[in-house]
Amino acid sequence: MGSGMIARRDHRVRVIARRDLSPTCFALELLTAEPLEAVPGQFGMLTCGEGLDPLLRRAFSLAAVRRHGGGTIVEMLLKEVGRGSGALRRLAEGATLQLIAPLGNGFTLATPGTPPVALVAGGIGLPPLLFAAERMAAGGAPFDLYLGATTAAELLLVDRCRAAAGDRLVLATDDGSAGEHGTVVAALERRLDAGTAYARLLACGPDPMLRAAARLARRRGLDAELSLEEPMACGVGVCLGCVVELADGHFVPSCKEGPVFRAADLAARWSE
Amino acid sequence: MSVDLATRVGSLALANPVMAASGTFGYGLDLVEFCPPERLGAVVSKGLSPRPRIGNPPPRIVETAAGMINAIGLQNIGVEAFCRDALPELCRRGATVAVNVFGERIEEYVEVIGRCEAAGGVAAYELNVSCPNVVAGGMEFGHDPVQLERLTALCREATKRPLWVKLSPNAPDLVGTGRAAVAGGADALTLINTLRAMAIDADRRRPVLATKCGGLSGPAIKPIALRMVWEVHRALPDVPLVGIGGIETGRDVAEFLLAGASAVQVGTAIFRDPAAPLRIIGELEAFCAGHGVAAVTELIGGLQ
Repeated sequence: MGSGMIARRDHRVRVIARRDLSPTCFALELLTAEPLEAVPGQFGMLTCGEGLDPLLRRAFSLAAVRRHGGGTIVEMLLKEVGRGSGALRRLAEGATLQLIAPLGNGFTLATPGTPPVALVAGGIGLPPLLFAAERMAAGGAPFDLYLGATTAAELLLVDRCRAAAGDRLVLATDDGSAGEHGTVVAALERRLDAGTAYARLLACGPDPMLRAAARLARRRGLDAELSLEEPMACGVGVCLGCVVELADGHFVPSCKEGPVFRAADLAARWSE
Repeated sequence: MSVDLATRVGSLALANPVMAASGTFGYGLDLVEFCPPERLGAVVSKGLSPRPRIGNPPPRIVETAAGMINAIGLQNIGVEAFCRDALPELCRRGATVAVNVFGERIEEYVEVIGRCEAAGGVAAYELNVSCPNVVAGGMEFGHDPVQLERLTALCREATKRPLWVKLSPNAPDLVGTGRAAVAGGADALTLINTLRAMAIDADRRRPVLATKCGGLSGPAIKPIALRMVWEVHRALPDVPLVGIGGIETGRDVAEFLLAGASAVQVGTAIFRDPAAPLRIIGELEAFCAGHGVAAVTELIGGLQ
């Protein structure tokens, strides 16, 4: 998997844009004063405001980073699920926050001339895969992008996904209101049945989707990399709260050894 | 005005009263780019056992109102790896290192101290007798004054360096356990460890944590920690205390010193901001300057 050799630091960031993407999801654009580089799959720890409640930062995958003047615009896609994400959704533009980034490892991307990879995104699992898609599209690397959600209204940033993936974008919704009817992993399986070949799957989304992707990969003898979301207190390797169980029985912190894991390295419950 | 931030915990001199608490700062070198360990009063290592421990299954943490509950289960690399991989560099950097010691049996506590004594460079030992998240050891010593005195006495025989005992707020008799630790030879008491606590997911009708219960930390527990430091200081006024519990600001440090602590530890605040101890030192200095306090030691036990 991609290594994060770029130094992490605590950036003061300004919220320069905030917009709703769906009934539950929204995007934040954060401007750093210093350059920030990252690879797709890496994440940042973002404060939710000044007060002591909510107390902890929240971990969010980076959806895009682009240079802007002497700094960097960091794009994050968030789902409002609780107090922290709720506070972030109600922030005024111009508010300042703190962001420790980049953290963790990244996906193993395709390069030009290598076999394509399948990017599989479920719901708010899109950010690291959008980052991967846009970076691979810019570099001429081959990939297909599978984007799934519960309903058409919850499919995020479809135009951006199409701009990156072109006709290699496959949409799926649980209720059939857009794209193929059913899960995004089922849509992927139909392509595999039809003879499409991939070097590996890169996936991010809710746990049931990731387990389905891992099972599919195992049945087809495909390598899979999963971006996991674990409850995280510090994000920088000291709290040991975010551990993931590996196949060898050890618990490793997702913030340091992940958040991207090879499915084959994870405890059996991920692919059974 | 310039403020003298130096303090002492018993015989141990500290450049300032702010330490990083065990379990929140790794092995002292994990956050160097945010918080160089040599700039703190001391760093307290993650609880070390004779051999590595894999810890509890996840989920291990949950955020609660102005706090969090953890059940890490003392996952650690073991004393051998600490002495080999972290301690020499901490000493080279000039950090003051306290080792948090954990065992399931008394002999294991003694073994950890013995290994560190052989390595050299440790400034103090802090006995962890108050972890609420392990099945054996820890809290069972911290809740029983007879066992605690015996454990402390045997550890006392293993080292001449300062020996601190970290008290459990869950013990039925806090002052009694503190007295037992001192009777066993403790030089100072650290208080408080986390409060045994629980979070429930009503949607799933299950405890949030895999271990069901864990330890509560963060600003939510600060008033309890202050009360306990104050009570122990009143009962044992000659015993140096290290205050810990929900410290987020320099003003919080001043409150703990006034209650009777000679120094403090910052823990959960580091999870939110890995540079928090440095910010807190600066705020404490400003607090003292703003209140005409020339030496931070003037605050210790100064509650009126």
